[in-house]
Order: sequence, then structure tokens, then C-alpha cells
Amino acid sequence: MSGLPVADRTVVRRAALGLIAVDRRAVVVMLVLHSAAAVAGLATPWLLGRIVDQVAAGAGAAAVDRLALAIGASVLAHGLLTRYAQYAGHRFGERAVARLREGFVARTLDLPISVVERAGTGELATRSSVDVTTVGSTVRDVVPVMVIASAQLSLLFGAIFLLHPLLGLVALTGLPSIVAVTRWYLRRARPAYLAEGAATAELTEALTTTAEGARTVEALRLGADRIAYGRQRIGRVWATRRATLALRSVFFPVVEASYALPIAVVLLFGGFLLDRDMVTLGEVVAAALYLQQAIEPLDRLLQWMEQAQRGLASFARVLGVGQQAEPAAAPVTAGTPRPRGPGTVRSGRLVVRDARFSYADGHDVLHGIDLDVRPGERLAIVGPSGAGKSTLARLLAGIDAPREGVVSLDGRPVTDLPPAERRRRIALVTQEHHVFIGTLRDNLAFAAPEASDEQMRAALVAVSADWYADLPDGLDTQLGDGARELGAADAQQLALARLVLADPHTLILDEATAALDPTTARRTERALAAVVTGRTVIAIAHRLNTAHDADRVAVLEDGRITELGSHDELVHAGGAYAALWNSWHG
Amino acid sequence: MPPQLPHAEPGTPDTRGPLRYIWWLVRCQPGRVLRGGLIGTAWMLGLSVRPYLVARAIDDGLRPGDRRALLWWVAAIVVAGTALAYLGIMRHRTMTFVREDASARSAGVLLRHLSRIGAVLPRRLAAGEVATVGGADIINTSAVLTMTGPGVGAVIAYGFVAFVLWSVSPLLAVFVLLGVPAVVLVIGPLLRRLERVESGYRHQQGLLTTRAADIVAGLRVLAGVGGRGLFARRYAERSQRLLAEGYRVGAVNSWIEALTIAIPGLFLAAVVWLAARMASAGDITIGQMVAVYGYVAVLIVPVWFLLEGGYQLIRGRVAARRIVALLNLTPDEAGPPSPVDGTATEAGPDHPADLHDPDSGLTVPAGRLLAVAADDPAEAVVLADRLGRFVASDVTWGGVPLTRMALDEVRARILVADHDSYLFAGTLREILRGRADLSDTDRRAALRTASAEDVLDAHPDGLAMPVSTRARTLSGGQRQRVRLARALLVEPDVLILIDPTSAVDAHTEARIAQRLGAARAGRTTVVMTSSPLLLGRADLVAHLRQGRIVAVGSHVELLDRDPGYRALVSRDDASVGIHGSLR
Repeated sequence: MSGLPVADRTVVRRAALGLIAVDRRAVVVMLVLHSAAAVAGLATPWLLGRIVDQVAAGAGAAAVDRLALAIGASVLAHGLLTRYAQYAGHRFGERAVARLREGFVARTLDLPISVVERAGTGELATRSSVDVTTVGSTVRDVVPVMVIASAQLSLLFGAIFLLHPLLGLVALTGLPSIVAVTRWYLRRARPAYLAEGAATAELTEALTTTAEGARTVEALRLGADRIAYGRQRIGRVWATRRATLALRSVFFPVVEASYALPIAVVLLFGGFLLDRDMVTLGEVVAAALYLQQAIEPLDRLLQWMEQAQRGLASFARVLGVGQQAEPAAAPVTAGTPRPRGPGTVRSGRLVVRDARFSYADGHDVLHGIDLDVRPGERLAIVGPSGAGKSTLARLLAGIDAPREGVVSLDGRPVTDLPPAERRRRIALVTQEHHVFIGTLRDNLAFAAPEASDEQMRAALVAVSADWYADLPDGLDTQLGDGARELGAADAQQLALARLVLADPHTLILDEATAALDPTTARRTERALAAVVTGRTVIAIAHRLNTAHDADRVAVLEDGRITELGSHDELVHAGGAYAALWNSWHG
Repeated sequence: MPPQLPHAEPGTPDTRGPLRYIWWLVRCQPGRVLRGGLIGTAWMLGLSVRPYLVARAIDDGLRPGDRRALLWWVAAIVVAGTALAYLGIMRHRTMTFVREDASARSAGVLLRHLSRIGAVLPRRLAAGEVATVGGADIINTSAVLTMTGPGVGAVIAYGFVAFVLWSVSPLLAVFVLLGVPAVVLVIGPLLRRLERVESGYRHQQGLLTTRAADIVAGLRVLAGVGGRGLFARRYAERSQRLLAEGYRVGAVNSWIEALTIAIPGLFLAAVVWLAARMASAGDITIGQMVAVYGYVAVLIVPVWFLLEGGYQLIRGRVAARRIVALLNLTPDEAGPPSPVDGTATEAGPDHPADLHDPDSGLTVPAGRLLAVAADDPAEAVVLADRLGRFVASDVTWGGVPLTRMALDEVRARILVADHDSYLFAGTLREILRGRADLSDTDRRAALRTASAEDVLDAHPDGLAMPVSTRARTLSGGQRQRVRLARALLVEPDVLILIDPTSAVDAHTEARIAQRLGAARAGRTTVVMTSSPLLLGRADLVAHLRQGRIVAVGSHVELLDRDPGYRALVSRDDASVGIHGSLR
């Protein structure tokens, strides 16, 4: 179901190294502090070994007191160093997470719109909430833990080698089985956790869409259906969770059983060395304690390994957003200042040559469209529903690229234009609109960042958005998400005011008022009249009176332009258009 | 035993508070939780076996140089290690089952509630809230249940170690028994501080998530008009504010982390010091001294579990609070499922009957096709909401007030079909669900009535064609006609259609107008529209102006005698708006 790709191993590794490289100093500070903390943590068993030897040698209370005091000091040092190491790690993690989520949103904003539509907003929403959060906690909590644990383990085993190299060697007896089972586990864990993540996303989507469509669920009594659908998803989540649990059920016990082995072997071998006076009792005890102490960091390391896997899987899903086989959009650029004088950008000539297009199922929707749009003309595109009118509009606006053929503006393929430039020249108005959470100003400014408050008010007046007068805080009124909600017509007027500010020379109207009720549609059309003046207009129309008033009419049927000419010409030609016109006028 | 998921019946949650909700999740699986507690306890106790065995290996084997004893104790260490590994994985499996059972149960009750609550929901919830609950809150709530296993085990293990210590030295045992509560008392307030900082952080994180969801929802607009850079920047600014909040959380978190190391560590140092003093005085053996060190080190595991549990509880409570808030949303707008005064519900009319709305003065004649042309379409929607009892009103059906009927009966017999009703993902066949005993022939017939055969013809899989959420791959007109076909297949006694043809072309609209009447023959149908094609085909037309029905008659009659009506419907014949500007 998921239409969004997941990043592969190489991309994930490169991105992870990139996060470290960009914050190199903080990483070094963090590593130094953690290593120092680990050394301080090692002092305790070493001092205990010293106590054992001293007591065995019959030393008095004073020596014990000194050593015990040293243990206390080392614990305090350990705590303090840990605090600053953690804090440094936490700050590094927060920065890395901020970079990640900002990068995620930037890439999301760069997604070709067709990709977003196919993937579904639930999938994107899950990646933006669950996955970004999971990666966040991994970077913030897991990575530091793994860094500390690795540092501690190297120091512990190094210390045993220092006690006696042979003891160090036998201390490694547990490692082969741990390494083998870890490799076994890691190979299988990634796909298993990815499947788990995908199943979880589908369950979230099932819940989200049920909430979004709650009124429909009630009206059509779809409750039982939605429950059945959601139960299936719960079942899928459970199946994937059991698969990952099965992996852990092998991994964890093998590792844990491997902890006891080196302790046993060190004691046994230590007895052998002790008999030959090659080591002291204190050294054997210290080695056993070091191994005992190695369990905790090893355990942490392995316990978090699962979490790290989860984080890695989420990381791959986060990085996957924006990875497309399709030509990548140019990087996000702010709306650059533009020349605004007359005649500067009004020359655009849209030409379509043999354009074919198919959606994901490979079934062609448009079969070779040829069309020349003259600058400044009003072209109406009519045809029965499903003929491919909206698809053609999307090709003209450069939102989708034709599978074959070309759509060009002044000789350049529209999809090759930088997005900012393309939108500056061509705007597509559909029946869908969205009011962003934020102030009214926020909702206008993104169309033309340099517009003044005066220009914004003028734009609202131009589209006769009379509701503006009722707003308590004018342009600063908060809209959306629990604050003031705009109705469909108001929202559409807001969308049109954005167009006035954006000032493109070509407007493509894809049934901009079709989803509105008639009265609202009438109001909106009046607003639209203010916007279209002086521009090239391509109007997708399902009402023939729109066609009647256009300079030229293109009739689109089954993905082909079957007729093209002025209204009168087509009526006189007596073709399909004439038939439609007559059925409409009765 | 692994649970059977999803639950056949997730049960009735306790929604009086977040902790009660979590407790309910525990009560639903007492056997499994008990098992988790037992295994968790055995595992925790098992942790203290190794220091004991190591101590015996030192005292009985290494020191006296007794190879045989050493071999025995070393073998015991290996066996105990294997047994501990087994207990460990059984604990993890059981606790995973406990958590998954809880997660599936939460998802189940949420799903059931979301499916039942109905029209009120979108008005009460911010975008992204359900996604947060479904994505993270369910899991965070279930994580609290981890406490029930190792949490119980931690307490018991603590007592057990103290008991063992008593046999070594009562003084040491007392020291441990008093030291532990002291450690917890020091760390407790820190956790509360953490909760405050953490909740601020989570709040901001939630807002940021909502913003991301808002951007995702508005991507089409941004694609059309531009401004992506601005939104990326604005998101980045918010993200930076969250970063600052994260630094504050980090400052507190890292101290807590350090204290969870330092406090037990200092405690351990004190115990070692006492033990070493005793060993040097000859009161205990060196092996016992090492064992005491091992025991206290072992005790760090239960302490850690308790601290971690406290942290999970903090997070889980916040998460459970959101779940409970969602579960406590009630569909109060349309009135309760049965009458408020406690009297029994009345059955609706058992034969086609007139629907009457006193507010507007509208009477919907039984078995006829009535079209309502409204000056303000918003009023038509309000009227439809009354007729379908989406709001409480005085509407009667065959003399019975709708509010006295069972809500379920109203929903079953009167269908309000919104022009933007939701299309869920599934095959076309699943979307055209209708009655239970529906055949594909019925579905094709309904698609034909809605003039939506092109949807079917365009796809090789026919009725099995997959349709995505909101049917994004269909055109606006196709979506509207699929919605119409879906509403027709329900075959309600009263069908109220709101602007069913606003997005279709004239040709198709004419066909729909012609077929609709035949398809609904003998049943009551109301169409809210101002399209002359639909109005012309209706049995009767009512003109709604400023909330009142001002004229009733045939389309032709009203054109003739109601100038307001004429002005309203002629809109589709005259060139206005954009078309005017095209001249």
C-alpha cells in the first residue's frame, strides 16, 4: 500500500555519518567525557581487588578506609563526568534530531505532488510523527548509551589483559557465540522491523481515516466495516510483532547464556594460574568482577541494539521521503523578488506536443494531445467526466510530466522550470483548498513573501472577501486548528487572494468552483473575475456556458482533443460539441 | 501463552482517568500479568545467584586450592547462567505479550469508539491528534505495563537480597534495608521535576507534529501557488524552539542520569567499606565480602527497573490521558440514542410516511422525489441535518418525533448523503457496500443510475479495482458519482442527497436526473440542488429562503410564479462570474 520508498543501507549510513560530521566538535567532546566517565567507573572493582589483597595480607582498618574513600571519590567522579557527557550527548542528539525533522519537512515540501497523492497523507503523517520521534529518541538516548557501553567494554577487557594477558584471552570465550548470534539477528532484524513499522503505519491510517470520515461512517452505518478493517490491521501488526519477537527469542537467550561462560572459565583458569603463582588472588577476583561488570554494558548495548534497529528502520523511512525515481524537484527556494512591470512575464506561450500520460496502473489517460495556447487568450476545455481534463490541467501546470511528448512554455519543458519560476508564471486553481494553521497573514504571505499588508488587504478586497472586515485581529487573526475556521467559499476566496498576490501570467482553472454550492460558487466566480483580468486563462469547465464565452473551446473525449475552435465554429460544425450544447440548452 | 489478537471483544474500558485506564488494561489479562510477575521475580532473584556462586568458588575453590570444589562451583555458574537466560527470555516474551495485548486492546476500543462516535468527531479534534494517539500514545501506554512484571520482581528481589545479607551480617542487612528507601526518596522528586519539563517538551513536540501534518495536508496548495520555502523556514523556526526546550530537558535528564549512577554507587561504596572493615576484622570471609559487593551490584538492576518504570509511568499517563479524552467524546449533538426523559423509544412509521420539519415548514411527501432549491445552500445543509437528525429538532416522521425514535433506527432508515462524504480505501466493490445481500448486478445497476459506468470501464479489474483513501485517483466528478451510487445502494426509506451533481458535466447530469427518479420509485427522496436539470425532473419542488419554505410546486409552476426562484435557477443559464469577465 505504501507508496513512499524506504532508504537503503548506503543512504542511511551516509546520512548518519553526515550528522556526525556536521557536529564534529560536540561528538569529540562527548566521546572524551564518556571515556573519562568509563575509566572512573572501572576504578571501583580495581580498588575492591586491592582491598581483597590488602585484607588477605592482613592490613588494618586504616588501609581499608583509604581505599573505601577512593571508591567514593571515583563514584562521584563517575557521576559528574556522566552528567556532562550525557548533557553533551543530549545536546548533540537534539541538534541532530532538529536537523533530521527539518530536513524531513523540507524534503516533504519538495515531493512531487503526484507522489504525495499516491502515498496517502496517513503514511506521511506517520513518518512525520512516529518515525521522526523514534529516530529522535534513538539519536538522543540510544546512541549515547551505545557509545558509553562500547567505551566501558573496551576498557574492561583492556583492564583484564593488563592483569594478565592469559586471563584476558580466556575472558573472551563468550564472544564468539555473541558475535555469531548478533550477526544472525541483525541480518534478519532490519526487514522484520521495517515490516513492523509499515503495519503500524497502516493501523494508524485506519484510525485516522475513520476519524476523518466519522460523519460518513455514522450516516452510512459503516461502523462495523471500519471495525473489521481496523481489526485486520491490528492482526497484521500482531503478526509482524511476533516475527520480531521470534528473532529476539533466539538472540537474547544465546547472548545471556554467553555471559556466564567467561566468568566460569576465568575462575577455573585463574585457579590454574594461582597454583603456579602467576597471578594473585586479588587479580583473579578483580578479573571476575570486571567480567561481572561487563555484563551490564554488554546487556545495555544489546538491549539497545534492538532499539537502534528500530531507530535505523525509522531512519530509513524518514530518509525515504524525497527519494524518488522521478526527476527530483529543484531545492526549496524562497520566492525570489520578481520584476512586476507590465509586459515582463506576460509573453508565455504554452505548447503541448503529442503528450501522453498514464497513472500508476499503466493505463493511458491521455493519448497524444497537441495544443497551442496563445498568450492572452481564454481557452475552455470541455468534455465528459473522466475524459482526462484534470490530468491535462496538471500537465499544463507542470505538476505531472507527460509519459511521452512535451509540454513547453516559451520553448522550455514546464517541468524543467525551477518550481518557483514555474509557479510565478503558471498557477493552477482547483476545487481543493487548504487553510494553513497560522495567521491570515501567514496564509497569504507564502504566495508573495514581499507583499506588504496594504497589498494583502487589497488582494482580499479584489476577491470581495467581505468576511475580512469581521475578523477581530485583521491580518493577525489565527486561522485553523481550533481557532477560526473558514467556510469553503471563504477558503476559496483566500486561495484566490493568494493568486492575486502571486500574479502569474497564466491561470489554469480546474473546475475551481465545482465543489461549491451554487450561491457560494456565484460569489467565488465574481471573485475569480477580478483575478483573471489580463491573464491567459485555461478553464476546465463542466458547464457549457463557460465554453460559450471563451475565445476557443477544446473538446476532450477519452483522452483526445476531438474538436478545437471558437464556440460558434464548433456549433456550426455540428459535431460532439454541438450535440452537447443542444442537450444543455434543450 | 501468546494472546489471540485482535480481540474478539476488546471490552469496556475504564475511562474515569488515565491511571484507571491503565489499570483496566492490566485487569483484562490477570493470568498473563501474574505469570509476568512470577517470571520477572524469578529472573530478578536469579540475578543474585551468580554472586553467591562466585563467592563460593573463591572461598571453597580458589583460596584453599581445591580443584574439585572449584570445578563444581564453576559448573554451577554455567548451569545457573543458562537457566537465567531461559528465565530472561520467558520474561521478555511474557511482557511483550502483555504489552501487545494492551496495545491491541487500546487500538480495538479506539477503533470501536471512532467508528461509533460519528459526525461530532471532526468538529472536536485537531488534525493529527488521532494520528498521534494511534501512532505513539497507544504504545507509550502499553509500556507502563512492563512494570507489572519486573516491577513486582524488583521489589521482591530487593527483599530477598536483604534476607541473604542478613545471614551474612545483620548490620549490613539493616544498612541495605534503610539505604534503599533513602535512595528512592532522593530520586523521587527529581522524577517529578522531569515530568514537568517533559510535558512541556511533549506539548511543543505535538504542536510541531500538527504543523508537519498541516503542511502535508496543504501540499497541493503549495504545489500550485508556491511558498514551500517559507513553510520550510517557518517549520525550522519552530523546530529550533523545540530544540531549546530539548536542551532544558537534557539539562535535567542528564543530572537524573548521573544521580542514578552516583547515588546507588555511593551506597555501594559505603556497603563495600563496611564489609571490608568486617573482613579485615575477620567477621566475614573475603568470599562473603566479594558476594556482598556482587549483591548490591545486583540490586542496581531492580533499582534501575523501578526508576525506568517511574519514567514509563510518567509518559504513559500523559499518553493514556489523551486516549481517555478521545474515548470520552460523546455524540451529544444529535441527542442521546434514546429519549432523555427515560421513556421508551417509539418505533418509526411502518409504511411510507411524510417527513415534516416545523422549523422551515417543509413537508416531504412520502414516496415522492422532492427537490429543495435553497437561496443559501448552507441553509439546505442545515435542513438536511435536521431531517436526518444530525442535530436535535422538532422534525416528525409520520407524526413520530425523530428525537423519540432510536437513533439507530433513524440512521438505518434515513440517509443524508453529503456531497463530500468520505471515501475509504478499498476495492470499488467494498466501497459500494450497501445492503448485506447485495450482488454485483445491483452494484452495476447503481453505478448506471449514477452514470458512473466510466469508472468501471476505465479499469481492467472492474469492481475489484483498488480505490485509495479519498479516491484520489478518481476525478472530482467520478468521486461524486461513486458517492451517489453508494448512497443509492443503501436503499434507505428516505434518501436526502445534497448537491449530488455539482461536479459533473451537463450531459451526465441530465442522465442522472433521468435515472434517479426511476431508481427511487415509490421511495421518499429529497434532493438539495439548484440545477434546473434535477429540479425539472422532481415530482415536487420547494423553494427555501431565509430558513423558510416560501413556495412549493412543480419546477415549471415555480418558474412561472416565484421570481426569486427564477432568479435562483436561471444562474445556470446565464453567463456570470468568470464568464462575464471573458467577454
